[in-house]
Amino acid sequence: MAVHDTDICVIGGGITAAMAVEKIATLRPDLRITVVEAGRSIFDRQNRIEYHRRSMAYGEHPWHDDFIEDQQAKGMISMTMAVGGQALHWGGACNRFSQEDLRLKSLYGLADDWPIEWDDLERWYVEAEHRLNVSGEPSPYPEDRRSGPYPQGPTPLSFNLQVLKRWAELSGLKFSPLPMARNLTPFGGRGACGLYDTCGEVCPTGARYSPDYTYQQLIAAKKVTLHDRTLVRKLVLDPTKATIAAAQGAHQDRPGDPIEYRARLFVLASGQCWSPHLLLLSANSRFPNGLANSSGLVGRHMNGHKFISAQALIDDETFPGQNMTHSLISREYFRCATDQAFVRHDTRVWESSAGKEPRLRSAEGKLLLGDELLADWRARALKGSSVRLRTYYDSHPSVDSRLSLDPASKNRYGDPMPMIEHRLDAQAEGREAATLAHCTNVFERMARASNGRLTGQPRVSTYWDHPGGGCRMGASPAAGVVDSFGRTHDHENLFVIGAPTTPTGGCTNGTLTFVALSLRSAAKIAESVRG
Amino acid sequence: MVAAAAGVPLLRLRLSAADALTADHILVLRDVAPTVLPSALGAKGADDAVDAFVRWVRDYQEGVPLSHGYGEPRLVRTGPSPAPGYATQVAALQDAARARGGRFSTLPLETRRALLDDAFKAAGVPNLPGRPAGKHVVADLMAHYFGSSSANDLCYNARIGRNTYRAIRITTVRPRPLAG
Repeated sequence: MAVHDTDICVIGGGITAAMAVEKIATLRPDLRITVVEAGRSIFDRQNRIEYHRRSMAYGEHPWHDDFIEDQQAKGMISMTMAVGGQALHWGGACNRFSQEDLRLKSLYGLADDWPIEWDDLERWYVEAEHRLNVSGEPSPYPEDRRSGPYPQGPTPLSFNLQVLKRWAELSGLKFSPLPMARNLTPFGGRGACGLYDTCGEVCPTGARYSPDYTYQQLIAAKKVTLHDRTLVRKLVLDPTKATIAAAQGAHQDRPGDPIEYRARLFVLASGQCWSPHLLLLSANSRFPNGLANSSGLVGRHMNGHKFISAQALIDDETFPGQNMTHSLISREYFRCATDQAFVRHDTRVWESSAGKEPRLRSAEGKLLLGDELLADWRARALKGSSVRLRTYYDSHPSVDSRLSLDPASKNRYGDPMPMIEHRLDAQAEGREAATLAHCTNVFERMARASNGRLTGQPRVSTYWDHPGGGCRMGASPAAGVVDSFGRTHDHENLFVIGAPTTPTGGCTNGTLTFVALSLRSAAKIAESVRG
Repeated sequence: MVAAAAGVPLLRLRLSAADALTADHILVLRDVAPTVLPSALGAKGADDAVDAFVRWVRDYQEGVPLSHGYGEPRLVRTGPSPAPGYATQVAALQDAARARGGRFSTLPLETRRALLDDAFKAAGVPNLPGRPAGKHVVADLMAHYFGSSSANDLCYNARIGRNTYRAIRITTVRPRPLAG
């Protein structure tokens, strides 16, 4: 068995690991840090213009071989497993949660409070925004106070979004440009935005933050050792103590040749799916229900949020295609009066061309050719504008919202793969219809402000976005798998960071929160390893 | 896009010469293009649209993973090339035009429409595909052009430049008209 000794072994190579490692390496340059990632490194930025071209022309996936076919989970929202993780092709949205997210139990008697104070988390948001170089504008809602400015001004609104902002604010809601991890000028070895408008697929200039840049910089500076294509299959306990002694796995090219990583401290940074999965897989005679699982909460309270989507047709003129990945956000409904029916959600607005695509036949079925087809397209396209609307809403998980080991699905090693089944708690389930009615009312109110109308009924998502949970933080060993810093209650030298530690999933994009929590964990990790 | 299931072998193949559209086929497409594409393109623009379509077909690769999506992802690969049926479709269109009296472009508009209508119905083409799909070469030519950024600009008579490189400041104002 090949053995690698290191000070800190980080398992998982996504955005939270990138941010945490960057910070630990700064605070503790004396420590050896090894990142072990199951997927491959895709460090070929020189090819991304061509990948973008082929993605647009053929629909080809621009991140070649960014997944492992036999390492997939039921209920997972992305197949990606590579250095950089799902943030290789995220949209770059960097919204903050709000104070209410941390006090749901105290304020509303719902779900659980987080064992962390807002003012504490808020300063880590500021650091996260700086590391990701977020472009943003302070919220018009005074409750969204900030202790520091955004590192960049907001992504300028396109003509379309200026039109839509005027329209949307007629409803009484206040909108801001979506904060995005998108360089307006070159920063951090990455280029400026060239508005290819494919943030969620591939950014040819690197303007949208992508963790692969951070890893390449850390490797070049010899601050981290990266072992990619290496799947950690099990954490091994010290025979005499409740600490982790090693992580064992195998390289994709040598599946029969085990590798062992020995470290002083282990950081599980594999996201909300693979982090609890590894803890469950690592069950042994002393911890038969899995490591870090004396609470029984590993793989429980899997969270995220559902969303409601709608399309509207309005009178105003827009020109679809200007900046379709940018959007407007209102935080009007982040807060809910405690004496009213509970509902929390963000409200998002995008330009859209839905329903205005070119078509081959007229409404009467006549084949349209050349100028006729163009005239038909124009007549529909120039008649008002389509608008895409969406709300992410509070979807509190029950304890049975869970990740379990699926005996029917195994990888090449015979390890059972995870299966995630999201479930609302009883109170959240009970307000589903009211939430849909509320959001429909908000959309209708916005549409009516411009003699507009919704085209079709708003639809509730079939999956939970921005998933987290599975290793929730709790103030005591009975209340959570980890403490607020991500240190597991059961194993002093094992941390879980990022999305898995969140007790609830908020009502807006989660990545910035995952990163902020990870940076906070990183500071604690750096001081935890004695020199 | 024609999409095959995950079971398709991983292949990244250039089309064989036998699948490629020949110079004669391209001439027929150039003859058809002014009928099915906007006149604003002019003769050269229509020829360029045909050439761009032919390049697209030539560079098509089979068995390449498509974006596996988000939310409810699944592995889907590009399907067989749309090209193998093209030669037959071009020849059939040419024969049908001859039977009606000559080259396609010389026929009355309603005759051209009827020829294409019959061909599309026989091929099962109810609407423009999102990308060329191989059901009929002329529908695929139309889909390739009308799905382009330049067609979007033509529709709105505006320099939008969807999915192309643009400085952000350009998008902060009403896009200029094409002729401006």
